Amino acid sequence: MSGIKGKTVESKDKEVIKRLNGLGKEIYDQIAAGKEPGMELPVRTLGNIYFDKKSKTIKLGDKKSRREFLNVAHARKFMQTMLVASEIKHIIDEKATTSIRDLYYALKHTIEGTNENTFEEQSESDPLIEDIEAGLELLREELHLAASSKGVIVGNMKIKDGKDTIDLTKMGSGGWGIPSNVEPERIQIKDLSADYILFIEKDAVWKRFNEDQFWKNHKCIIITGRGQPSRAERRFVQRLNKEFGLPVYALMDADPWGMYIYSVIKQGSISLSYSEEKLATPQTKYLGLTVHDVEEFKIPKEVTIKLNALDVKRLNEMKKYEWFRTKEWQDEFALMKEKAVKLELEALSKKGIRFITETYLPQKIKSKDFLP
Amino acid sequence: MAEEIAVHTGLNAEQIAKEFKEHSVAEFFKKNRQMLGLTGKIKTLTTIVHEYVTNSLDACEESEILPDIEVKIMELGEEYYEIAIKDNGPGLTKETMGKALGQLLAGTKFHRMMQMRGQQGIGAAGCTMLSLVTTGKPVQVISGTSKGHTFMAEMTIDSKKNEPKIIKIEEIKRDFKGLAIKAKFKEVKYQKSEQGPLEYLRRTAIANPHAKIIFIDPWGEKTVFERTSKKIPRKPMAVKPHPKGSTVDEILTMARSTSARKIASFLKTDFDRMGDKAIEEITKNVSFDMNKDPKKLSWEEAEDIIKNFKKMTFIAPSLEGLRPIGEERIRSSVQSIVQPEFLSVLTRKATVYRGGFAFQVEAAIGYGGMAGRGSGEKDEQTGGEIKRIEIMRFANRVPLLFDTGGCALTKAVQSLDWKRYGIKDLNNAPLSVFIHMLSVHIPYTGAGKQAVSDEDEVMEELRLALMQSARQIWRFVAGKRKQEEKEKKRKLFLKYATEVAIAVHKLTGKKKEDIEKKLQNVVLKKLKLEEKLEKEAENGNEEEKPKKKAKKVDK
Repeated sequence: MSGIKGKTVESKDKEVIKRLNGLGKEIYDQIAAGKEPGMELPVRTLGNIYFDKKSKTIKLGDKKSRREFLNVAHARKFMQTMLVASEIKHIIDEKATTSIRDLYYALKHTIEGTNENTFEEQSESDPLIEDIEAGLELLREELHLAASSKGVIVGNMKIKDGKDTIDLTKMGSGGWGIPSNVEPERIQIKDLSADYILFIEKDAVWKRFNEDQFWKNHKCIIITGRGQPSRAERRFVQRLNKEFGLPVYALMDADPWGMYIYSVIKQGSISLSYSEEKLATPQTKYLGLTVHDVEEFKIPKEVTIKLNALDVKRLNEMKKYEWFRTKEWQDEFALMKEKAVKLELEALSKKGIRFITETYLPQKIKSKDFLP
Repeated sequence: MAEEIAVHTGLNAEQIAKEFKEHSVAEFFKKNRQMLGLTGKIKTLTTIVHEYVTNSLDACEESEILPDIEVKIMELGEEYYEIAIKDNGPGLTKETMGKALGQLLAGTKFHRMMQMRGQQGIGAAGCTMLSLVTTGKPVQVISGTSKGHTFMAEMTIDSKKNEPKIIKIEEIKRDFKGLAIKAKFKEVKYQKSEQGPLEYLRRTAIANPHAKIIFIDPWGEKTVFERTSKKIPRKPMAVKPHPKGSTVDEILTMARSTSARKIASFLKTDFDRMGDKAIEEITKNVSFDMNKDPKKLSWEEAEDIIKNFKKMTFIAPSLEGLRPIGEERIRSSVQSIVQPEFLSVLTRKATVYRGGFAFQVEAAIGYGGMAGRGSGEKDEQTGGEIKRIEIMRFANRVPLLFDTGGCALTKAVQSLDWKRYGIKDLNNAPLSVFIHMLSVHIPYTGAGKQAVSDEDEVMEELRLALMQSARQIWRFVAGKRKQEEKEKKRKLFLKYATEVAIAVHKLTGKKKEDIEKKLQNVVLKKLKLEEKLEKEAENGNEEEKPKKKAKKVDK
């Protein structure tokens, strides 16, 4: 597992700098010896991940690839990787924490004597940060980098963030914005009183639950990642699950994309496979929606949506993922394919504005009608 | 010209002569203008220039003089021009002047099997005639044969009698050697186009590297095509017609003028590759008496002879009469006039088509530089003008400017699979293609002598010549691309090297300049190694490949 265990912030920083310098030295030694410089990096694609049955998370395999400076296809990426490494060192030296967008801007400049920029888009620098995390076996937080987080949460608990204590029952309609670093040395959870966590895919639906004070009435914590959750939301949910033994229920659209987001919460994602042990929550259960619900809850046909070609393609891909190879999921996929429909959470409003909070959810939880 | 008319009208020379007697020449001329290649105002002007320039080149060649030719075109009014041509040739005497410029059909030798530039329709006398019928004005001539002996004349044609009509002639005191003609024409038009006189002269200069040609256009702009070779081409040799290339009409015409007294001896002496055995075989197979007077040979009997010729085998005709321009001379003239970045030139060995006609093909392809035809459009990337392909066709050193599409020379260029030679879009490539066919008998498609027909053997030779030249172009283009790619690579690595050095410096604390220098060395070392490997691979490949004969036609 990656990351540096049980050390103080200062000694952690020292270790990170040591590893970054190590990369620099490795490259320098090659150059000084007149060799073609290159670095070994773990391959972060579907072909090099596996589902670890023991931890029940996605893990990175040990396939490596060499990123070489003197390869036309790699040269730019190699240069960018070195820039990212040197900038991270700089950030740690300054004892600062910046966002990955800050890092992108800090590094973006026109290469001398050309009209080419070192980076054109943040999408160029983001994966290189992940390369460095995976290659040097470090966590994002240890690099003093914060991914922008966008999730919100409310429920019966208190948060101690530095000197501030925040009561998550008094967050109004907006909820508490989850910060990008939710590591225990930064965020402490207090006075928690809840039976489960409800992870909602969509912000609009989360707002309905908050407005109806669902969390108060049903003694739970509601959280949304506003679509695909970033790592802070997932890390925080994992902590709630691990530290307080709370079950996690996912409430997603009944389509391949919602179901995939669920799997990321539960087992992890392919690109972050190197640190999923710190992010994934394998105990998560899929509460809904499902295509089975359409009949179960007599949802009118007219609010279902026909699957498009892209949906079907994604569905076929997901069917083969190891973590979806359970009878229940295969049945659900088969039914979705057979009926060729998908269903959005908002579609339940057809049955009444509070149908989702007052009928659908309580019934689901009561009957324990979950997908694994 | 009679030969021309005979071909196009189906009349033989005798009948034409008779017709000339019965009708006025002017009438005949007017009636047959299209047939004489005098259609189109632009084409007519170019044809006039061609007739005069061809006469000058032929005269100089005959007298072994390096030609200096000046052509000047002046606009006198709407579709009204004066053409002045001056050469340094042997000049004309008073007697020869009349025949050369004042009598249609004079001086045309029937059935001379010889590689000749040839008239494209009307000859210089035809120009006199055209001037007369369009303007009513005479032609002015100055001729100097040697020091002091210079005369000036004004002359035209007596169109009823087909005789020169001298209006004025006088000795003048001028030290002049050569011939100068001034003639006026209406219903013609000057245009600076691919079919205009300037382009005609440019191509004439390319095919005649021993000539210096000066052109002054109606706006007074002067263009000089310098001589690039001081070697006067050897005179082509007249050869006897080969039986396989003969026609009924030809045999009949030759039979009328032969000095032989029997058909057997006529065939034996007046035709190439005709031995006793062949005569024996023909005698056996024909139904008429081979000992009769050739002058009494009938059309049907001549047909019989041709039928036998077709069945029999003969030794191929002699290839000695042909006079190619030659690779060296084409190279220097194309390089000087077209100015391509790269040029490949090829003269193929002479061969035979239809079993009876010797011919030879020369090709040159210029790439890049000033090669190609300007499109008038700007290239967004380079800022220069976009170039299109230019196909320069020649037959016996004469540029062919018209009937482009129907010509075997054009078809041969278009039939190549140019992608195989690194030319992705032929029409928009910076290419100048020079393609020359020379023969004792060019198989023109029609009256205007502007297009060559696509005889199988001719097409094959044309394609082989083009393919061989194109292969060199391909090597050049590929090499150039490779060089560009290498340069791009070098720039790419060096540009990133600075950034990498800065990053490594920040991570290690080592000196930035030192890292950068070492990294640059690694880059250069790598590129050198790649180049070395490439060369080795290339050499290795060439050794492995057995030399293939160029016989196979691509596509």
